[in-house]
This record gives sequence, structure tokens and C-alpha cells, in this order.
Amino acid sequence: MPQNEYIEESIKRHGRRLDHAERKRKKEARKAHKDAEFAQKVHGLRAKLYNKKRHAEKIQMKKTLKMHDEKSAKQKTDDAVPEGAVPAYLLDREGQQRAKVLSNMLKQKRKEKAGKWNVPLPKVRGIAEDEMFKVVKTGKSKTKSWKRMVTKPTFVGDGFTRKPPKYERFIRPMALRYKKANVTHPELKATFQLPIIGVKKNPQSPMYTQLGVLTKGTVIEVNVAELGLVTTGGKVLWGKYAQITNNPENDGCINALLLV
Amino acid sequence: MSSIYNFKKIAPVPEAGDFLDIVLSKTQRKTPTVVHPGYKITRIRQFYMRKVKFTQDSFDEKLRQILDEFPVLDNVHPFYADLMNVLYDKDHYKLALGQINTARHLIDAVAKDYVRLLKFGDSLYRCKQLKRAALGRMATVMKRQKDSLSYLEQVRQHLARLPSIDPNTRTLLVCGFPNVGKSSFMNKVTRADVDVQPYAFTTKSLFVGHMDYKYLRWQVIDTPGILDHSLEERNTIEMQSITALAHLRAAVLFFADLSEQCGYSVREQMSLFESIRPLFANKPTLLVVSKTDVCTLDDVSAEDRALVDAVVRDGVEVAQLSSFLDRGVIETRNLACEKLLQQRVEMKLKGAQLGGVLNKLNVAQPARRDEVARPAHIPEAVAKRRRYDAHDPQRMVLERDLEVEGGGAGVYSVDLKKKYQLASDEWRYDTIPEIMDGKNVADFVDPDIEERLAELEREEEKLAAEGLYDSPDDEEDDEDRRIRALARRIRERKQIIAQEARINNSSRATLTHKQKAIAGASPATAAPEAMAEHLRKLGLDDDAAAATASRIARKRQRSESRAPAVELARRSASLAPRALSVRRDRSTMGFKDAHQKAESDKSRARALRRIAHLGRRGEADRSIQSKMPKHLFTGKRSNGTNDRR
Repeated sequence: MPQNEYIEESIKRHGRRLDHAERKRKKEARKAHKDAEFAQKVHGLRAKLYNKKRHAEKIQMKKTLKMHDEKSAKQKTDDAVPEGAVPAYLLDREGQQRAKVLSNMLKQKRKEKAGKWNVPLPKVRGIAEDEMFKVVKTGKSKTKSWKRMVTKPTFVGDGFTRKPPKYERFIRPMALRYKKANVTHPELKATFQLPIIGVKKNPQSPMYTQLGVLTKGTVIEVNVAELGLVTTGGKVLWGKYAQITNNPENDGCINALLLV
Repeated sequence: MSSIYNFKKIAPVPEAGDFLDIVLSKTQRKTPTVVHPGYKITRIRQFYMRKVKFTQDSFDEKLRQILDEFPVLDNVHPFYADLMNVLYDKDHYKLALGQINTARHLIDAVAKDYVRLLKFGDSLYRCKQLKRAALGRMATVMKRQKDSLSYLEQVRQHLARLPSIDPNTRTLLVCGFPNVGKSSFMNKVTRADVDVQPYAFTTKSLFVGHMDYKYLRWQVIDTPGILDHSLEERNTIEMQSITALAHLRAAVLFFADLSEQCGYSVREQMSLFESIRPLFANKPTLLVVSKTDVCTLDDVSAEDRALVDAVVRDGVEVAQLSSFLDRGVIETRNLACEKLLQQRVEMKLKGAQLGGVLNKLNVAQPARRDEVARPAHIPEAVAKRRRYDAHDPQRMVLERDLEVEGGGAGVYSVDLKKKYQLASDEWRYDTIPEIMDGKNVADFVDPDIEERLAELEREEEKLAAEGLYDSPDDEEDDEDRRIRALARRIRERKQIIAQEARINNSSRATLTHKQKAIAGASPATAAPEAMAEHLRKLGLDDDAAAATASRIARKRQRSESRAPAVELARRSASLAPRALSVRRDRSTMGFKDAHQKAESDKSRARALRRIAHLGRRGEADRSIQSKMPKHLFTGKRSNGTNDRR
């Protein structure tokens, strides 16, 4: 009755088979060939998975090789300009040029000046009404079509009460209502799940803003009380704007970037 | 020995990455893979919903399997629960299983959410993205379980290798300081080949071995050595021993090495005994002095002896053994087993279960009636029988002896028929056919065939006695006798004819027809007299022979040329009306006489001549008037059958 560490026990007592080391070595030597054979033969989903795995492995391998090589490789240093007279063709080799740094700084400044209301996503794709709304047929013989259902995620405030169905022109389905957003703080590089307070602006149309439709590029107001942010004056901030960076209707969640 | 818990059957727990591959490739394999944007949106939605649901189901099933298979610590025997706590840490174990359970719930919630979102998907792209997000989130949940899964896999592997200890059976528990000869004793009494080495803590976990005593199965548990310090300081290895001591109702064999070869003094060993004495409560305990080949109880100093004697109280007994010299091992074992057995019996008697049965039991002792001695009856043959002794030359011959004489095992074949009990001993070696006359003998074997046969015979006898079969011998009269004689003669004659024919056939084989005609005419064409003679020879009477011969020789009447009507008339005249059912010739019906019929036939032939000459269709031909009668083939088929509308 084998019990406990019986394999180790057996090895301890009787040793391994005599050709164990050789078999191991050969197996290792053969492995590359076997892998290659498998890689050539495999197809379909398994091939996809295998190739992905192999790709990652190779990247890792290259990185390690590079790390080993770095000891001998030369690095660029700012103040490594060789002393004394240097031929023109060697001037640019080491260190960054002053001029380039200056021009970069200028560009940066201009960019900052460009607009106060600079947002991460300045441009959005236009969304037509027929994509946004689905026509709901009403009436006894379903001939009337004045009712619309919003097919995108929406934010609906706490105090909202639906109008009586007879007068309700826009339906915002319960399944597509969101209350929370995953907001990333660009400087902290951390993401928090924060409650949404309201929709500030939907760039598509003021009507969508009114309806609270959440699409890519929409600016929302989020409750940052949990983060404990403070104004320069020392007041605790609780509402802050954030811009939605993903397509909520495709992802089933809302990711946003805090505007600071 | 079957353990009540089977920890060996837990299915392997895959790594988190493998887990994902398994589930996702299962989804890919087992759900439809082809969808087009042109499909109806409901169909597209359904396609992706199915994928999400299926993935969730697969995850759920696999996680649930893990949760079901791993033992719940509260439900297993406290010994195992404690052992697992010592080995794997109860909190860690529970946490890991709890996390798996949470992951399962999270995955279910994700699937629910995304199926709901998919209901609003308005394009293939959107549905696909939602599916992708759903599977991605499930995968993320699983990836977070990486550590729990790998921990559970390790636990599984270790659990599977635990010895299968039955906590309720008869058990001997061997304990003591390290290196005092516990494992050596174990190897002596069981076949569990435990490793024995001359250093401390060779045995690092519990080992179980099995042995037989009094035809019962016993398990012997070898525990790792324990040192004399407080419970808090004990390490995992020692704790296993303590767990076994605490939870198993067993006979405890505390091993002590008085030679101090183990590296611990007698004082230390005795103090350990005292400190773990609470664990021996209600257990038959033996202080086993091992290595008596080096040092026995009598050899030790008076000081040490006093220490040992101080320990031996409260039902503790001392046994001495030397595994090296094989001295005292079996005695020690027997002593321990006896003590445990006795205790178990006592416990059973005390138990409530047995009380109910004992109340109903009564052993009746009959009162002595008179002074007549009524000893047990022992048959004379039995009383006389010699006691079997292998060395006695007069001993009974056993089948075994016969085997040795007959060439030993494999050569000697046992005579199975030797002791058959049959009505006659001669029948013993008769071969009984399996098939006889094409019938399986077994089909006709009847257990009470003899009886029934006897019954039948009795009935026969009775009938015979009553005279049922008495037939008068003089019933055969002259007529019968004559017929018999005649028949015999006919048979003889037939044989002769057959023989002659055979001879003739071979001699006349080459004769021509003419020669044949000359050689012998047939009896019918020969003269009537010769024929009559021939018939007489064949055995006919004189008159009958002559009559037959003349009838055959007479030329047949020209019935064929006679007119049918005349024939009919002749028949009707000769037979009584309607005495015979006669089929009348329809071709003759409706004609006045033969002449009229001849005329009719002639004119018919004339009429047919031209048609026959041209090979045209005539009235005699079988004809199908119209191949597809319109009324049968028009209209809807549902209305009646083809030939009935």
C-alpha cells in the first residue's frame, strides 16, 4: 500500500533507473524538434492558443537575452560628449542636442495653451438617431410609431419617475441604466469605481445630454468624495468631471478618465 | 481495508491558465461557430447568449465539482479534521474553498449581466463585443483564483497520499521518542516496509500497516517521534503523532529505549510519558522497553529503574522486546491486542446498543429431572477415530499424501469420482455421454425419473394383471394367413425381378431397339396366355390373372374419335344421375350435335386465319384497353384512393 512520499522513498532505496540521466538529456535535446513538429502540425483553435503562448515565450526570451547583452552595450548619456576636438560626423552621436530639447519644450507649452477645456478625447464618432433609438410601435394595431427606446447605456438620476406610458416618448431600459463608472486618475494612475452624479455633456447632441445617454466621449460628473481630493483653497472636492473613454454599449461597463 | 473516506478520488485541480483553456476551448468546441451579419438579429443575439451561458455553465460545473469533492472539515472524522488542520492549516483550506465559491458566484453574476445586455444588442458587432467582454471578465475572475487553485492542487496530491486509516477499527498505535525502534517494530509485525534509519525523525508522517490476530484485521499505526516539550512548541511532524494519539481509540504502545542509544535519557523519556499521559486515558497502554539485546529492564541503574516503576501504574503494563533478535515482539503484540480486544468488548457491553439486545436474550438451563445420565451422543466411528498425526505411520491417508505419491502438485490429478455415491459402486467410473442420439442428455435428466418409471411400471403391471393386454392368439384366421403368404410371395418375386433386371441391364446395355424388340416383348404385347401365366407367377389367382390379361390385351375403344355428345350420353347412361360430380366440357355446350360443333370450329378457324397470319391482335389476346384511365388519374390525390374515387 503506497503511502506518503512513496516515490521519493523508492528512489532513495533503489535509486533511479540506470539510464535516467541520459534519457533526461535526450528528452531535453529532442524537445525543440518535438515542439517544432507540433507547431507545424497543429491547426485551428489550438494553433491559435499555441502560437500566442509561443509568441509570449519568445518575447520573454529576447528580453532576457537583451538584458544579458546590456552589460556590453553602450548607453546614450547626456554629458558623454567626448572632450577635445571631435569631427563633425561624431558630434551628433552622443547626447541629445540642446536645440531639440528647446523645440520640444516650446511645442509642449503651445499645446498647453491651446485650450482650457482640453479633453482626452476631442473628437467623437457621430451617432445617428436610428442607431441611438429603436422605434416602438404602439396602438391597438401597432400602427403608431412615435415612441422611442434608447439602445445605449444611460444614466438616470435617483429621483426620476417615469411618465405614464401613454405620454412617455423615450424609454430608457432598466438593463441599460448605469450608476457607477470606473474612473482613472491620470496622475495617480489608479482606477476607482465611483458613483455617477450626472451627465454634463454628450458631444453628440444636447438631446442625448438631456436623456443622459452615455457614449464614448461623454463628459460625466462623478462623486470623488471617497478619494479625499482637496482644492487649493482647502475645501473637500466631491464632484468632478470625467470623460468616458470606452464604448459602454460594447463593453458593458463605463471607463472614464478624470479631468484634472 | 477500505477507508470510509476516499481522499484518493478527488479529481485533479487544473492551474488557473489551464482552467481557462479548458473552459474556453470547450465553449469553442461545443457551441455553434458560424454566424453572419445577415442573420435575423434575434438569431445573432441568441447565438452569442448561448456562448456566454455555456461558458458560465462550464465554469460553474468545474468549480462546483471542486467544492463537492474536497472534504468539508466539519463533516469528516475529527481525527482527519485535526490531521488536515495540522498538515494544511484549516483557515487556509477554508479560505481557499471559500474563494472558489465566491468566484463561482461572481462568474454567475457576470453571465447574468451580460445576457441581459445582449438582449439589447442591435448588431452582430455589438453582440460580439459584449460576448467578448463577458468571457473576458469571467477569465479575469478565474485568473485571480490562481493561488487558491494551486494550493488546492497541492492539498489534493498530499491527501491522496495519506495512509488510509480507519479511525474506528482495532488499532495499535506506536509512539515514543525519535529513534527508539518504533518503525522496526512496525516492520516486524506488518508488511508496511517503513524506512528505518539510525537518525532521528526518519519517519516524518503517519504510516499504517495491517496484520492478523485471532482471525481479525488489525491496523498498526507508526507515528513520527515526539519530543518532550509543550504543545505550542511542537512542529507539524510531532503534531501528527499527537493527533493520532488524541483521536484514535487504540492500544498505545509507548516505546522506551533504556539503553539511551536514541540520545535521550531515561528520565526524559519517562517525563514525556508523564506529560502525554492524559492522551492515554481510556486506552490500554503498554510501556514497551525496546532494544533488550542491548539493555533490559533489569540491567538499568536503580535510579532509572525507580523512574520506570514510577510510571507503571493505572493499568499501564510493561513489555520487553528486541526487534534485532526477534525476541518478545509477538508477545508484546499479543498482549496489546488482547488488552484492546478486552476493552472493546467491555465498551460494547456497556453501550446502549447491546443492552437492548441482551434484554431479549435468555439462556435456558433445563432443571435436572432424574438421575439418568444423558451424555452427548458420539457415534462409535467418531469416538474410535484416531487423532491425526503427521508422523504416525498408521495415520489416515489424505488427499495430500496421495498427491505426493502421485508426483506432486501439477502432476497428480485428483480423482473426483472416487467418492461418488451411486446405487452401485461399479457405475462410479462410467462415462456419461453429453449428447446421445443427437439429443442433449441433460435435457432429459429428471430428478424423479426413477420414481416415475417405477410408477409407470406398477401401472403397467396392474393393467397386465387385469388382462388388458391379453389378446387371443387364435384370432388370425385362414384369410389373414393366406394374405400373408401371398404378400411374402409377392415380395420374393419382386426381389427376383429386380435382380434379373439388374443382370439384364448390364448385359443388354448395347442392344439396339430392334434387337430389344426381338429379345423380349413387353408382357402387355405378348400373348394373353403368356401374360396370364406371368401374372399367376406373380401371385394372382388363376381366374383373376386370366381376366386381367384379356382386359389388357383387348384394344382400347376409339373413344377419341367418338363424338363428345355420344360420350356424354354414354356416361350419363352408365352412371346414376349426380352420383359423380363431373366437370362438363364447355366447348361442347350449346351444340345440337357433333356435326354442328365441327361446322362451328371450322368457321371459327376460317375467321381467325387472316388475323393469325397478320399477327394482329385478336380477341384471344390479353388486352389492356387503356393504360391510364383518366378518371383514376386526375384530380387531387387526397380524395380517396387511386382506384376508388
